[in-house]
Amino acid sequence: MPHHLTEAPIDTAALLAKVQSPGAGAVVLFLGNVRDSHAGRAVRGIHYSGYRSMAERSLLEIERALAREHGALVRIVHRLGDIAVGESSVAIATAAPHRAAAYAANRSALERLKSEVPVWKRELYADGGEAWREEESLVP
Amino acid sequence: MKIQLLAFASAGDAIGASETAIEIPNDLDVAGLRVELGRRYPSLAPLWPRLAVGVDGTIARDDVKLREGSEVALLPPVSGG
Repeated sequence: MPHHLTEAPIDTAALLAKVQSPGAGAVVLFLGNVRDSHAGRAVRGIHYSGYRSMAERSLLEIERALAREHGALVRIVHRLGDIAVGESSVAIATAAPHRAAAYAANRSALERLKSEVPVWKRELYADGGEAWREEESLVP
Repeated sequence: MKIQLLAFASAGDAIGASETAIEIPNDLDVAGLRVELGRRYPSLAPLWPRLAVGVDGTIARDDVKLREGSEVALLPPVSGG
């Protein structure tokens, strides 16, 4: 069973190992890191929560769809729980024979994740405040 | 009939729980459920326009019928990444 969600820091070497192969001449790794500010307000971290069973399935579907569309191998890991500034909340590794497919599949994986996967961020501000960030409405 | 209601992010805050079992009329569809939950949890009102409803792990259209034991999820706009 693939594990797309983790509370632990993301192991990027392990993620890369899952997509690399002798036939893959291009490998792309994207990291989404927690930023230290939002709209001018200092951020100390982000708490991520998710609808685990659905998010796992949704991420697997994205990987499979992008493999069909781009001929690229795609692996996505999203972290849940409290994540400090500078740490990665998401990592996406893609591999393909050539760079165009590896880049395109990687970009597309992130865009789809942001609009389809049931994961939510709650920003934790340096001044002690907190707020949900709810951005992309899910559609049937 | 009884369903398992999951509420995520701001929806969880609005109903004061992330998971609860509730009794609803038999043969309700998703549209009917929205009305029923609207009555039961007035605090959801501002969220409804952007709230998706998941039934057994799939985003459901309004005409999807609920069943005894269905897992129903209230899903605000997502913000992963």
